[in-house]
Amino acid sequence: MQEETATDGIVTLSEVKRTYYLGEPVHALDEVSLSLPEGSFTAVMGPSGSGKSTLMNMVGCLDTPDDGTVTVNGQDVGALSDGKRARLRGSELGFIFQQFNLLPRLTAAENVTLPMVFQNVVGESRRDRAKTLLTRVGLGDRLDHTPPELSGGQRQRVAIARALVNEPSVILADEPTGNLDTETGSEIMELFAELHDDGSTILMVTHERHIAEHADRIIHLVDGQIEEIEHVTENPPVQGSETA
Amino acid sequence: MKIAESFRISWRSITGHKLRSSLTAIGVIIGIAAVIVFMVLGGAFEANIVQDFEEDQGDPGMWVNTQNTNQGFEIVPSPIYTETDIQTLESIDGVEFVAPEANLQASQLSFGDTLQTGGFGVQAVDVEQYSEEDMVKGEMYSSGNEAVLTQAMVDTLGGAVGPGDDVTINFEGGVSEEYVVTGIVEEGFGSGPDAAVFVSLVDHYNTTVETPRGTQEQAYSSLIISAEDASAVDSIKQEATEYFETDSDAKELKQEEQDIAVQTVDDAIDQITAVIDQLTVFIGGIAGISLVVGSIGIANIMIVSVTERTREIGVMKAVGARKRDIIQLFLVESTILGAVGAVLGVVLGLGLGFLAVTFIGWPMAYPVNWILIAVAVGLTVGILSGIYPAWRAAKVNPIEALRHE
Repeated sequence: MQEETATDGIVTLSEVKRTYYLGEPVHALDEVSLSLPEGSFTAVMGPSGSGKSTLMNMVGCLDTPDDGTVTVNGQDVGALSDGKRARLRGSELGFIFQQFNLLPRLTAAENVTLPMVFQNVVGESRRDRAKTLLTRVGLGDRLDHTPPELSGGQRQRVAIARALVNEPSVILADEPTGNLDTETGSEIMELFAELHDDGSTILMVTHERHIAEHADRIIHLVDGQIEEIEHVTENPPVQGSETA
Repeated sequence: MKIAESFRISWRSITGHKLRSSLTAIGVIIGIAAVIVFMVLGGAFEANIVQDFEEDQGDPGMWVNTQNTNQGFEIVPSPIYTETDIQTLESIDGVEFVAPEANLQASQLSFGDTLQTGGFGVQAVDVEQYSEEDMVKGEMYSSGNEAVLTQAMVDTLGGAVGPGDDVTINFEGGVSEEYVVTGIVEEGFGSGPDAAVFVSLVDHYNTTVETPRGTQEQAYSSLIISAEDASAVDSIKQEATEYFETDSDAKELKQEEQDIAVQTVDDAIDQITAVIDQLTVFIGGIAGISLVVGSIGIANIMIVSVTERTREIGVMKAVGARKRDIIQLFLVESTILGAVGAVLGVVLGLGLGFLAVTFIGWPMAYPVNWILIAVAVGLTVGILSGIYPAWRAAKVNPIEALRHE
C-alpha cells in the first residue's frame, strides 16, 4: 500500500477517518492521506462502497472528517464554521456532477454565474463572465437558453462553465460522463484535457477505466483505504483531438 | 447574498409554477379582500350616518338625557329635570333657550281613512322652540287641541294633510284626542323620530316630582339646550355638565346607577362612530380568520416546494450558498406570495366594496389605515408562513440532497 505524505499541495488529506453508522460502523475513509499538487489531474476509482464519494465530499468541503485534517488552499476545513465552509466551497471549489445539476428555471448564463451570486459579486461583469466561459466551452450562442432547452452534453458544458466561474483552486468531477453517450463523453473529456492544460487542478471520480486514463494518476480505493496510486504514463487520444 | 438577487431567483421560481403560485396567493387575496370589503362598508356606513347627522343639525346645541351607567346610548325616560334646573341652565352665557322634551305615548294616528300605527312620535313642545322660519306651511299652535306636523309625518300620511285638517291620536291607555293641524315644520327637534306630531307643552304635560327642597315642580325626562351660536357650544356644555355634577335637582333625583349625559351633535357622532368602529373591527376580525387559512396555504406550498427542490438546494449549497442564503431565498419567496396576495386583495376588496357601497347608495370610504394594516399583515403572513419551510430548507444536507432524485 502506498501513501503520500500530506505536506504541500492545493488540497491535502492527512490521516482522514470518516465512519458512518448504519447499524454497524462502516469505515468510509480509513486514515487516508493524499495530496493534490497544483495543476494535477487525479482520478479516483474503486468499487461502490469503497469511499469514492466520501473522499469527494471531503475535498468538496461538504463533509468533515471524524479524525485527521483536510486542507483546501491552506485552510483547515474541519475547523471552519458551516457558513465559512459554504463560502470556501463557492470560492475554492468547482463541482461537476453526473446529473449536471443545473437549476432548471435559470438560463445558462444565470446558472454559470450562480456561484458569483453567493459570493456577492454583482453588476454587468457577471454577464460578461458568463459569456466568456460559455464561449470557452463552446456555448457562446446559448446564453439565454434554459437547461430543458439544452442537450445532455450542452448541459454538462454549462456545468463546467459554472465550475470555473469563481476561478476555483480545485475542480471536482463526479462521474462527469456517466450520463452521456460515448461520443459526447469524449467531447467532455477533451474539455477536461484543455482545462488541465490550462493549469487547473482536477479531481475526478469515475468507474470507467478509459475515462480515468485521462488523468495523470489514478487512485484506487478499496474499503476506505488507498490500495494503489497508479501513474498514467500515456493519456489516451481524445477523439478528434491531437492535443491530448 | 444580496436581497435583490434572492428576489430575482425567487420570482423566477414563483412564475415557474404559475398555477400553484396563483392558488396560493388567492388564499391571501380572499382573506385580505374580505377584511377590506368590511372596512369599506363600515367606513361608508359611518360616513353616511355622519352625513345625515350633519345635514340634520339645525341650530347649534346639545341634548341632556339620562343613561344607565355602563350601558351607554340607552336613554332612560325618567322625569328628573325640574323647572329649577331649566332656569339655571338658561342663565348660562350663550344659551338661547332650554326646552324640555316630553314624549307622549301615542300608539295610532288617523287622518280620514289613513291609519298610521307606530313609527311616529308625539312630543309636547314649548312654543318658544319654533321661530317663523321653521314653518313650511301655516303657523304655530296656540291652544291645546292644535298640533304641528313634520314634513316627514305629512309624507307618511300620504302627503295630503295640511293646515286646517283634523287628525286623531290614540294615546296608550285608551285615550283618543282630536287635533286641528295648524302648520307643517321642515323637521323636528331633538332625538325623536322624523315623523312627529308636536302639541302644546303646557296643555299636555303635567308630570311633577318632589324636589330636594320639598316643593312640587314639573319635571322632564330630557332637555334641549340651544346655543346662540356654534362657538358657545363647548363652554355651555362644560358649564352644564358641571352644574349637573354639583347642585342640580336632577343629580339628587336620578338613580345611583344612572348618569346624566350632555351631548352635542359631535358627541353623538363620536358615540355612534365608536360603536360602528367596534362592530367593523369585530366583523373584520372574523373575516381575518380566512387570512390564517391563507397563511397555512403559503406554508403548505412552501413545504412542498422545499421537498421538491431538495436537489436544487443541495446544488446551491455545493456552489457556495450558506444556510442564511437558503433561508433568505425561501423567505423572500413566501413574502412575495404574501405581498402580492395583500396588494391584489386590497385592490379586489376596494373594488367589491365600491360596488356594494354604490349599490346601497352610501358614500365610498377608503380605509387607509386598514389598507396599510392589510399590506403589513400580508407581508407578515408571508414571512411567518415561510419561516418553518425556510428553516427546513436550510437544514437540508447537501450530500443527501445531491443524491436526491
